[in-house]
Amino acid sequence: MFKKICLGILAIAAIGAVGFGVYAYKPAMQPITAADHATFPPEQVEKGRVLAGAGYCATCHTAKGGEPYAGNYAMETGFGTIYATNLTPDMETGIGAYSQEAFRRAMHEGVARDGRHLFPAFPYDHFTKMSDEDVDAIYAFIMSEVAPVRSVQKENELPFPLNLRFLQAGWKMLFVDFGQYETVTDKSPEWNRGAYLAEGVTHCGACHTPRNILGAEKSGEQYAGAEIDRWQAPALTAANASAVPWNAAEFREYLVKGSSTYHGIAAGPMGPVVHAGVRELPDNDLTAISVYLADKVGGDGLDPADSDIVRASLERNAPDRRYRQAEGERLYTTACAACHYNAQQIRAGRPDLGINSSVNQDDPSNLIQVILYGVTSHQGTKGVVMPGFRQALSDDQVAQIAAYLRADRAQKPAWENLREEVTQLRARGPGSH
Amino acid sequence: MAKNKILSRLGVGIPATALSRREFLISMTAAGVAFGFPRDAMAAMDPQAADGMPIEAVGDRFEPTMWYWIDTEGRVNVNIIRAEMGQHVGTAIARILADELDVSWDDVRITHVDSAEKWGTMVTGGSWSVWQSWPVYRQAGAAGRTALIEAAAAQWGVDPATCTARDGTVTGGGKSITYAELVKAGINRSFTEDELAALSLKSHSDLRLVGKDVTALDIGNKINGKTIYGLDAKIDGMVYGIPMLPPTRLGSSVASVDDSAAKDIKGYLQTLTLDDPSGTVPGWVVVLGETLFAAKSAADLISVEWNAGETAVVSEADIQARSRELIADAASGAILPTETPDTTQAFQDAADTLEAEYTTATVLHFQMEPLNATVFRNADGIWETHAGNQWQSLILPTLSAALEVEPDKIVMRSYMLGGGFGRRLNGDYIVPAALASKQLDGKPVKLVFMREHDVQFDSVRSPSVQRLRMAFDADNQVIGMNHDAAAGWPTGVMAPSFMPKGVNDQPYDVFAIDGADHWYSVGAHKVRAIENELANQTFRPGWLRSVGPGWTNFAVESFMDEAAAKVGVDPLEFRLKHLIAEGYNAGTAPDSVGGASRQAAVLERVAQMSGYGSADLPADTAIGIATTFGQSRQMPTWTAGAVQVHVDRETGTVEVQKMWLAFDCGTVVDPDSARAQCEGAALWGLSMALYEGTEFENGNVRDLNLGGYTPLRMIDTPPMEIEFIDSTEVPVGLGEPGTTVVAPAIANAIQAAVGVRLRHLPMRPDDVLAALKA
Amino acid sequence: MVNFKINGREVSVDADPDTPLLWAIRDEIGLTGTKFGCGIGMCGACTVHVGGQATRSCITLLGDVEGADVTTIEGLDANDNHPVQEAWRNLRVPQCGYCQSGQIMQAAALLTDIPDPSDDDIDAVMTGNLCRCMTYPRIRQAVRDAASANRGQTQNG
Ligand code: FES
Ligand code: FES
Repeated sequence: MFKKICLGILAIAAIGAVGFGVYAYKPAMQPITAADHATFPPEQVEKGRVLAGAGYCATCHTAKGGEPYAGNYAMETGFGTIYATNLTPDMETGIGAYSQEAFRRAMHEGVARDGRHLFPAFPYDHFTKMSDEDVDAIYAFIMSEVAPVRSVQKENELPFPLNLRFLQAGWKMLFVDFGQYETVTDKSPEWNRGAYLAEGVTHCGACHTPRNILGAEKSGEQYAGAEIDRWQAPALTAANASAVPWNAAEFREYLVKGSSTYHGIAAGPMGPVVHAGVRELPDNDLTAISVYLADKVGGDGLDPADSDIVRASLERNAPDRRYRQAEGERLYTTACAACHYNAQQIRAGRPDLGINSSVNQDDPSNLIQVILYGVTSHQGTKGVVMPGFRQALSDDQVAQIAAYLRADRAQKPAWENLREEVTQLRARGPGSH
Repeated sequence: MAKNKILSRLGVGIPATALSRREFLISMTAAGVAFGFPRDAMAAMDPQAADGMPIEAVGDRFEPTMWYWIDTEGRVNVNIIRAEMGQHVGTAIARILADELDVSWDDVRITHVDSAEKWGTMVTGGSWSVWQSWPVYRQAGAAGRTALIEAAAAQWGVDPATCTARDGTVTGGGKSITYAELVKAGINRSFTEDELAALSLKSHSDLRLVGKDVTALDIGNKINGKTIYGLDAKIDGMVYGIPMLPPTRLGSSVASVDDSAAKDIKGYLQTLTLDDPSGTVPGWVVVLGETLFAAKSAADLISVEWNAGETAVVSEADIQARSRELIADAASGAILPTETPDTTQAFQDAADTLEAEYTTATVLHFQMEPLNATVFRNADGIWETHAGNQWQSLILPTLSAALEVEPDKIVMRSYMLGGGFGRRLNGDYIVPAALASKQLDGKPVKLVFMREHDVQFDSVRSPSVQRLRMAFDADNQVIGMNHDAAAGWPTGVMAPSFMPKGVNDQPYDVFAIDGADHWYSVGAHKVRAIENELANQTFRPGWLRSVGPGWTNFAVESFMDEAAAKVGVDPLEFRLKHLIAEGYNAGTAPDSVGGASRQAAVLERVAQMSGYGSADLPADTAIGIATTFGQSRQMPTWTAGAVQVHVDRETGTVEVQKMWLAFDCGTVVDPDSARAQCEGAALWGLSMALYEGTEFENGNVRDLNLGGYTPLRMIDTPPMEIEFIDSTEVPVGLGEPGTTVVAPAIANAIQAAVGVRLRHLPMRPDDVLAALKA
Repeated sequence: MVNFKINGREVSVDADPDTPLLWAIRDEIGLTGTKFGCGIGMCGACTVHVGGQATRSCITLLGDVEGADVTTIEGLDANDNHPVQEAWRNLRVPQCGYCQSGQIMQAAALLTDIPDPSDDDIDAVMTGNLCRCMTYPRIRQAVRDAASANRGQTQNG
């Protein structure tokens, strides 16, 4: 999911080289030995496990088919491929030699134990907001629970000069607001807890905030929505295109189950965010994040079941015996309605496509992706599968279904170049999520 | 194998023409030489058993004819030579026997038998099964009952005439004994054909299972997934095959095969170019894998180059143009032996004439279970085919030619069919499996057609062109009628020796013209059946549910409405006026007693049911009617239908609001299945009227799967009312007749609703719109 | 190796994760009650439940059900007496029967989601399941019957 997080360093040229050198220099920290490895209280380890989950550490530090946390997960960035580090406590190839302080510095400042600057594919710009206590818990978890694996990190495939790590310092200087989370006093403690988690460990902005050409989150556009890996991470602001406004209850359902009745499912890059991530957080933390996000989106807090939009969409569900008239409607009626039809109310597990986010947003890619590649048991509602239709439907047919849903069900202006989009997304393959 | 031997196996299957029904019955009852195949049990199927294995007799078995036995527990196992494809045919046939034998239904089991020669002709089609089985199984049942009563009477030393049988027990002189006990005591009695013929049968009023609903023996396993279809066949050591089909059905050959890209597919075995001495599957390639997925994945990567046959560019329009050419040529085709086939004078004398052309598009079977077959040579050197099939007797000689062994070295195990509708009358799909196994020295090969393969070389219902003309005298009375019909001929291609000859000595395919020889008295009546050889070369024309009558009646019954309109008479009245039971249309015993009067009766019944002519309907809404005699003059099932439609003038959509059907099929043997068959058949008719149809493009059908082919679904299903006329006449078939009336009734309803006449099937919204605009 | 549950039993299937679930169920696991009709998700013959939802197994990849709970017609009810099966039996719905495993699985899922379906509901949901024998009038009635049997049970219990 972080493939598209870009690396920006070109701005360095604008900075005085000498001064910069001083700024950029970070000393190596003393390695520790196996004998130095402390034992940690079980509560702390457990807390660390949950936080590591919520930060999706394993997602980005595990190669496809590889050992957990052993690194070498390939991130295709707009600039080249970089490989995730080995996070297991292996003494040589992992972080076994990291002291707790070294780990904190890595998390808070994006600097490796040996003083190298880390690429911001590693979202230290968010982790910097985490408390020492939480960072230490993750450290405790990794050092005690993750099995050490010997695995040498592959060479990143970045062109010169992007591969010069010290230049990362300039990027940090320009774009990162270091420092731990500060309470917003006019918001509730619950909101603040949610904000602390969302801006910190779960780093929602990493996907949902658009980035500038240097790959940094645009400061003025927090959560304005962005493209990730040919999926749309929707806006988590008033600009959210959902037919029915999000509210805290919907966010909560989504984060707990991987799907929300009135919006959609956690598919694509969002799949692991929920299922290999935030679901681990305790209940009240999920509520807190939901409260915070609902506030950001600015929803009306009403029960969507009572919404006119929902009722109107339900009416458009009614089977129409003239369904053969339009190809898209015919295919939908034949291939989709069995699962997506709703009658008096929208049922969890039967996503109503008239109000579904993927049909309502300005970009059709999420819808096309799901039609082509489906939703595995590890995405969306856990244990439930939507089959992909890539071998069943032609590009034309997928486009026609999408166009029908857009026009007749969501009643939104037509998407342009739908067919081409389908062709492109098909050519690209299912991606690695 | 001698040709006449082959023919004798085939010939009896065509009662309407080549052989009389009587000959057929003799063939069925003649106790031929029983071929005890070494794996006899494995070659038959009990649809009630979870593993398909027929029951074994407990103790001795009493077998008065080859059609059943009774064991010492009183269980009756009835042998069924028909394929089960949804008609509950075994239940219907076994019930006929059980009724005459007088046993409890709970004691009855059925076995769908193998293809041993003793069974005679094995074919399931034409809606014949009950009609043909009725006299045979009644006799067989009566034989058993007679023998059991005689045995009991002998034990008791009384006159058999004083004893009666009921529910598996013989009673007489104050004593009673069960069939089971009689069988245990030993009973040995068989019947000559003359004795069978002399047996007295129960009177109609004594029948206790016929006409009542009993448990259908095949249904239990159809709701729990246990029914075994061909696709479920499993043979130890089998490999999977996927066909790769040549560009044309005929005349293609393989130029080269390159499987290098598939070598790395796990489980891929090899690719066979079939060598087919029977000429059935020219240019076919079979890709083999340890799993179906391996075979399929490999096939996706294998490239084959073919030399295409001559029909590689043929289109639907070409085929139809050829039909028109043939119709225009007065010398072409066969003229049917109607009462007065020469209409020259009538048309010369005509004060006025009416002419119209009707066309129908290509239709697919699209039976739900894609074609498949598993073939191997067993340890006894016998080739076993495991598949569902409707006409074992037709394909056996072909398999014999393909495998280059005598037919008695082949046994076909009859699996349940995931739909037949005539597709599995043509057993061509078994041939490539047999050839692949042959090339692997008898190793079991399970050949599975993906849906697209199944469709590409479906034996489709041929597109057709028909020209109808009617001659009227100065008083607007009908004095003559011509009906020319051109299409591909299934029988012409697959079983040409069964075609009877017309009055001009030309052979014709009854299945491509039945229906045109209607029961209306129209004066001189000339029916000309024309074989479209371009169609025959482009595809293997198939028998598809209701076959010819599915499209000939579209023309006849649309035309009747057009003729009625021309003379200004209501269509119902016009038809009744011409359905007169006299002369040629008087009917003959036993199968068509009453003739046209019975057809008139069902028509009147359906008019009543539907409120035709009296219903007060909204704008653009109307009821249309049509009537037919089901499948053929030899076995008429008197059928009438009414359909209410509403036409949306904006979109051209025809909404079918309700359908009514009335049937006179003689005695109703199995009421619930009869109704089910009529429901299904009527909906097929609707589907082909409005929703189904494809076209040939570049030598093959355009729509290969449900993305483009759009048959009727639940949402399209209107409410229906179906009634049967009470009757004690000979039971005739019901699998297809319902299909025949629906399309013309809809066309007539559209005409009545919005005043446009559609003469092409399917009638799609665009056609309606175009007609409205014209 | 793909691990999941089928009819309550844990299975590990050693097949390419891209194998359609249908073929894995039929050929690897050996449960042949689930049928192949079109292979493109448009006939419903291959319908099974995945996580309780009716799912077309012909286009579902084996790898996609890792960890999921799959139910086939064989596992719908231990005694073949699911209310839908009872209604099917009573009305003698099946003709050739080939589509019926899928119809029954789809109908069972429908009644879970919409316990008291209108005819529109039945039409909308069941239209994805093709029946070439055209048993639609009986399927429609059987779904209604099963729903009212369910209602009876809820009221009594
Ligand atoms: S076989 Fe799966 S939907 Fe047709
Ligand atoms: S019962 Fe035959 S396809 Fe449905």
